[in-house]
Amino acid sequence: MSDPVPSLAVALVGNPNTGKSTLFNALTGLRQRVGNYPGVTVARKSGTCDLGDGRKVELIDLPGLYSLAAASPDEQVVTDALAGKIAGERVPDVVVLVADATNLLRNLFLASQLAELGRPAVLVLNQADVAREQGLRIDTALLSARLGGIPVVLASAWKGEGVADVRRAIARAADERRLLPPVAWPANIAAALAELARAVAADTGHAPSAAEAQRLLFDTSPTLPERLGWDKARRDPAIRAAREQVRRSGYNPLAAEPLVHYERLRKALAGVLTEGAGKAGRTAAVDRLLLHRVLGPVLFLGIMLGMFASVFWLAKFPMQWISGGVDGLKAVVAPLLDGLPMLQSLVTDGMIGGVGAFLAFLPQILILFLFVGILEDSGYMARAAFIMDRLFSWCGLNGKSFVPMLSGFACAIPGLLSTRTIEDPKARLATAFAVPFMSCSARFPIYALMCAAFIGPLYGPGWESAVMVGMHGVGLLFAVPTAFILTRFVLKVKPQPFVLELPRYQMPKPRDVLWRMWQNAAEFVSKAGTVIFAITIIVWALSYFPRDPAVAQRVRAAAAGESAEVVQARVQAAYVEQSWMGRFGKAVQPAFDPCGFDWKITVGVLASFPAREVIVSTLGVTYSVGEGAKADSAHLQQAMRDAKWPDGPRAGTPIFSLAAVLALMVFFALCSQCGPTVATLAQETGGWKWAAISFVYMTALAWLMAVGVYQLVSRLA
Amino acid sequence: MNLDVLCICGIVGLAAGWLGFRWGAAWLRRRSGGCAGGCGCATKVGKKG
Repeated sequence: MSDPVPSLAVALVGNPNTGKSTLFNALTGLRQRVGNYPGVTVARKSGTCDLGDGRKVELIDLPGLYSLAAASPDEQVVTDALAGKIAGERVPDVVVLVADATNLLRNLFLASQLAELGRPAVLVLNQADVAREQGLRIDTALLSARLGGIPVVLASAWKGEGVADVRRAIARAADERRLLPPVAWPANIAAALAELARAVAADTGHAPSAAEAQRLLFDTSPTLPERLGWDKARRDPAIRAAREQVRRSGYNPLAAEPLVHYERLRKALAGVLTEGAGKAGRTAAVDRLLLHRVLGPVLFLGIMLGMFASVFWLAKFPMQWISGGVDGLKAVVAPLLDGLPMLQSLVTDGMIGGVGAFLAFLPQILILFLFVGILEDSGYMARAAFIMDRLFSWCGLNGKSFVPMLSGFACAIPGLLSTRTIEDPKARLATAFAVPFMSCSARFPIYALMCAAFIGPLYGPGWESAVMVGMHGVGLLFAVPTAFILTRFVLKVKPQPFVLELPRYQMPKPRDVLWRMWQNAAEFVSKAGTVIFAITIIVWALSYFPRDPAVAQRVRAAAAGESAEVVQARVQAAYVEQSWMGRFGKAVQPAFDPCGFDWKITVGVLASFPAREVIVSTLGVTYSVGEGAKADSAHLQQAMRDAKWPDGPRAGTPIFSLAAVLALMVFFALCSQCGPTVATLAQETGGWKWAAISFVYMTALAWLMAVGVYQLVSRLA
Repeated sequence: MNLDVLCICGIVGLAAGWLGFRWGAAWLRRRSGGCAGGCGCATKVGKKG
């Protein structure tokens, strides 16, 4: 009989980047994010898996970890989940150990440690196709016999190979409940563990599990004893005495655990692995070039330049099609609302004009994420982390900070969540502080607008991609010294060793790359249709009202003798200028005058504090209110190019000079203009203090740098 | 009040109300330890004391 409610909980555990999330997706039919570098999964995710025999189980995907010596918050999630210490979550009935079939010995270290938990287990040797290619043959029956009879399955989750076998193996493990045999500790170590367990029980009243006793003996982290409530004054002598006992048996107490486990695993794997002729060494050959001390960074820069140049080039025609569609829509809608002038302006200038200006960048976003997906999936992004490690170690962080920062280039929120992979809380805080500097995709539309309207037409397409790469580098340029000051002088972070497992190169999987592209496009379009749409309507209303007929009469009287078109344009400009938005912008503009921003840019900057993408639609509205269907999408760029200072020392000169364009881009590169990012920073740092400091620091820095760029470039130009 | 004004008041009011509701809901979600939004993740990990 089928059971619709999951009767069992099954946890997926394994080293980072072994394909756990890919297997999770294959077993559940879900679409959790996967990536070809370690640290993509930072929190527990669950789904329902059909075992094929009528039973359904709750499948839990956990972050990857190398050992049970949990140091970082994401590793803590795994050890807590396995020990049943997460509120509201059941203890897993079966543990599925996912191991990289090409690196069995190292991957099985975690399995050997997990044996202490005493849970029925399945061992999945993933990436079996790659092992086959490398000429490796694995005797799964012999390995199963050596590991207490637990099911051992060969699989290649991304190809869908062996997934049905994994389902059957989970069912078998749940029925047979075979356990991985725990390691046999040498007598002195076993005695030290028993003594330590007795001391904890005597001091705290809580008898620790075998796994907990091992963590107390072998780890130096104070997390577990503190959680057990074991007083430092009492625990220190007990742990010292236990370690002394280990030392007497000839082992270094802090190295004994891996030595004993690896000795046991070498015996278990004897005769299991057979190496034949295969295609090994391709990754090493490519790495010699891509990780070269000099060529590596040069190639990295070249790849980035090529990527942005392709984004501009490939997106050109689709952008024109979207603009044409927006113009066509305006031309159709405007005559239908001829009798309702206000509604006509709202629909054509506000809704279609504002959202259309934003949506025009969809092709660039799609193509950008296509390239990013290809680079991630191929394994190159992990090499980029390796290249950047030199820069990060200079500022007191390490390459592990690169994954959060890399995620930050798409969106700061997953980047902030990825900081959970960093063990040291101070290094984690410093990284979280630096992540919002990364140039997220929300900054892309303003860069693209400025490049398309000014940099490209003035200096040629080559400069468009150079400025684009430069703007993505600006965030990094300020993130590094910021992290340096934080780690060296404020938080005093101790230098951290950096170990990054470089994944093998692989052909990007079209399904995963296209899925990621689709997800980002869907998010972009959904934002355009919801938040941007609503804010655009508000911005339109604030730019349209109040409408005093006396304003029009005054302008018409002053413009007597001019053509009807010129008079109409001046009337519309006067209306926008005396609107609520115009008055507010003019009142605040003096603060942004040193950056070269007029009141319309000021309004755009202020409206963008909840979400920075709003700038494009705000400019779209403020530059087209009253223009109706005439205001086509190219109109915004032309209107910006035509805009001139009306009075003051810059009277008659273009508002969007090169200095102002660069200052505006630098301001958006550095300013903290994202409500959800500030909130996530507060959540991840455990309070509003660091979120508030980050907001004030980034905003002040953005203003200062925009002033500096404007003043410097104005003088040079 | 003519139809033009009525339509404008309705649309602008709806947009402002929806934004307010959305931001209020996000604030409540964060207060209860949920995701701050924007990333598609809704994971909430709580630990036993």
